[in-house]
Amino acid sequence: MTQSIIINGKKHAIDVDGNMPLLWFLRDQLELTGTKFGCGSGLCGACTVHVNGQAIRSCITPVSTLVGKKITTIEGLSEKGDHPLQRAWLNNNVPQCGYCQAGQIMNAASLLSVNAAPSSEEIDTAMQGNICRCGTYQRIKKAIVEAADTLSKEV
Amino acid sequence: MTISNVSRRDFLKTAGLATSGLVISVALPMNALAEKGIMKESAEEINAFIQIADNGDTVIYCGRCEMGQGISTALPSAVADEMEADWQRVTVKQGDADEKYGPQATGGSASIRVMFQPMREAGATAKAMLIAAAAKVWKTSPDNCFAQAHFVINKTNQQKLGYGELASIAANMPVPEKPTLKKKADFKYIGTALSRHDQDEVVVGKRIYGVDTKLPGLKYAAIIHCPVLGGALKSLDKTAALKMKGVSDVVEIPRFAIPFGSIGGVAVVADNSWTAQQAVKQLKIEWSLGENAIYDTKEYKQQLVKNVEKPATLASERGDIEKAFSTAKHKMSATYTGGHLSHAPMEPNASVVWVQKDSCEVWASTQSPADIQKVLGQYLERDPKDIIVHVAMAGGAFGRKFKCDYVHEAAVISQKTGSPIQLTWTREEDMRTGYYHSINAQHIEASMDENGNVTGWLHRAAFPSISTLFDPSLVRTPANSLDDITNHLFGVENCRVESGDAKAHTRIGWYRAVYAIFYGFAFSTFADELAYKAGKDSLSFVNQLLDNNKNKEQTAQVKRAKDILAIAANKSGWKNRDKLPEGQGIGLAVHYSFQSFVAMAVHVEVNGDDIKVLNVDCAIDCGQVLNLDGATAQMEGAVVMGMSLALSTEITFRGGAVVNSNFHDYPVMRITDMPNVRVHMPDSDESPTGLGEPGVAPFAPALSNAVFAASGKRYRDLPFKPMSV
Ligand code: FES
Ligand code: FES
Repeated sequence: MTQSIIINGKKHAIDVDGNMPLLWFLRDQLELTGTKFGCGSGLCGACTVHVNGQAIRSCITPVSTLVGKKITTIEGLSEKGDHPLQRAWLNNNVPQCGYCQAGQIMNAASLLSVNAAPSSEEIDTAMQGNICRCGTYQRIKKAIVEAADTLSKEV
Repeated sequence: MTISNVSRRDFLKTAGLATSGLVISVALPMNALAEKGIMKESAEEINAFIQIADNGDTVIYCGRCEMGQGISTALPSAVADEMEADWQRVTVKQGDADEKYGPQATGGSASIRVMFQPMREAGATAKAMLIAAAAKVWKTSPDNCFAQAHFVINKTNQQKLGYGELASIAANMPVPEKPTLKKKADFKYIGTALSRHDQDEVVVGKRIYGVDTKLPGLKYAAIIHCPVLGGALKSLDKTAALKMKGVSDVVEIPRFAIPFGSIGGVAVVADNSWTAQQAVKQLKIEWSLGENAIYDTKEYKQQLVKNVEKPATLASERGDIEKAFSTAKHKMSATYTGGHLSHAPMEPNASVVWVQKDSCEVWASTQSPADIQKVLGQYLERDPKDIIVHVAMAGGAFGRKFKCDYVHEAAVISQKTGSPIQLTWTREEDMRTGYYHSINAQHIEASMDENGNVTGWLHRAAFPSISTLFDPSLVRTPANSLDDITNHLFGVENCRVESGDAKAHTRIGWYRAVYAIFYGFAFSTFADELAYKAGKDSLSFVNQLLDNNKNKEQTAQVKRAKDILAIAANKSGWKNRDKLPEGQGIGLAVHYSFQSFVAMAVHVEVNGDDIKVLNVDCAIDCGQVLNLDGATAQMEGAVVMGMSLALSTEITFRGGAVVNSNFHDYPVMRITDMPNVRVHMPDSDESPTGLGEPGVAPFAPALSNAVFAASGKRYRDLPFKPMSV
């Protein structure tokens, strides 16, 4: 019996070697390329997705460990691209090349889901696994604070 | 420059542009674009297109490559402004490699400098033709009409005609000879903080980068390179790799010893990238390493230091330096070094190539599509024009994607297997198979009189130069690569520049800011050291040093450098630096490169070996600023890259091969170290220059000066805190 995995609400059969990291299953099998390859070793955060709402590095997570789990990628973070973080990212003109930003946003979303009002240090700690070589960190931080603020007003 | 109405031309079809409506092209004489040998011909070639369709949709095709620097927003916004287009109706598209765009090579912070004026004139031309069209419809004079937000309006009766309605009529109007440009006060987009045209796609993961290309029947490849430049494959056992499920081919790629060709390696082709990567690990390979196997950067750097601490080959000389030294009140000398750097853009090298019998098509992130055409043309023995290159958005580049070895390799694999191939380098291969920023040493000796005037300056530099890519026999940097030392804005009457021996043992390439990284470091750090020696504060000392420049041709530049330094200093609280808490300090640096002036004031807190950067005030004079937000972003990025190279990043070679492999041993800066960056841009009417690179240079010296002010410890070697790998 083929095992399956739920990605952005859709069920997909795992028809590959179970050792294949989720990253490559997403990118090469499903052609969902929003999740990026940066280092392949859990060092840069470009490949961050959610498993049951929590951020993980998809480049070091074999698909076989995710049977029946719910995966959310950047493409599925919000229906209309209007998650408070996505809006805050646009408000603050965060992206330069933009390559790291899917991972940044997914990681930040996971942070806000467990800590609605993170302090500056808490943002640093949570986000330090995500590299941005273009150097957009100042804006990333501002955007996270802004999104947290929006969220607190929405409640 | 020529602006033409090309609305009915056949080539639009082949270029995929619509053939109705109005299409305007901009052609620059190539010699106006001659950039450090990138372009030599003096033919006229088209650089951009503006297309207004019958429904008013406007597309601006930008030939320059986008890698995050914002050029694909900045240049089209200048067109839109002059054209009185509604930015919401404008789509920006990346031009494919085509000589119709002229030189697309994107580097040297040149795009805005070269293209700003022509793009404005193109927009103004389109506007004039649309107005002429409306005047014809209304049987009135063009002077009785004006354009606003995608409409032409009749001044007499306030009637309106949309650009879409007018486009086809405008296509039959004569091209005005000299279109009138807008006054600065009337700009709508130029000089504002316009957002990136594509960021809404970025935040939902829909922006397609080179590495994201998908084609029907695509096969995936991974590669391992020969670890040493000039080495070759000795033996290969591919049995285990070929046995793996999903693996279809193993392809040997010999070194293609032309600039930007592959260094040589072995690739595996499979059903997906991961399988290909796993299979590469199963290859049993022996390399013969060749003569560069002796390369050891620790020893090499020590040798460079020796080579600059003794007389070297004269590059340039003015005045009488011996006399200046013999009559000096103070003398001082210092030696500065820096290591190799890897660009490490977050998107590793990747490309898709499909070589067929009578066609070759490429999809790649690149800074130089024409080089892809040249290299692949040469390799496949085809006319470069027949290589079709689709230029993809680059996930960072910083100079690395100027060189197309990763595209050449995919072409080899595709040619040998017959399939369309996506080759993605692993991070490890990216880090170990680079075109590195040069390892370097500089030694400066200077003399001063009793008033702190610098009277003599001896500057020896030794670094394997980029020229070695084109002439590997070079044993030292050619004199003209040291011009930026000779022509530095510091005013020193007696000056000698010498080039120390430095043979290349790896590939050296342009890295964001290039030589300005170490020139800026040596000049501004040494100036600070001299200031202490002369008993002066660093700001007045540097001002005096600049004031002593009596070269009339540099008077205007000297003034701009001083003004910009004053702004950075003022904003940082330099005046009150004595009141900073114990362990804190501010350091200054100003550097002129790529025709822009950048000054930085870095405010640090030092605790033992721990350096915390608190604030960075950047002041920039790049002439008139096209996009305030883009310029600010470039400076924030320059600080981050400057901080990585000042504190921690260095590529180490042992036994001819790179030791570093990934971000754990090439520790680029992370969010935890992000200082508060403030960017100051004084209003300017000077013609605009670029900002991609010049921001990187002043950071490291300003940091060295700040740390010294805070702690008395002087750092002269980049990076300050190398990781042992
Ligand atoms: S690609 Fe997964 S952490 Fe870098
Ligand atoms: S925006 Fe380019 S790497 Fe982050």
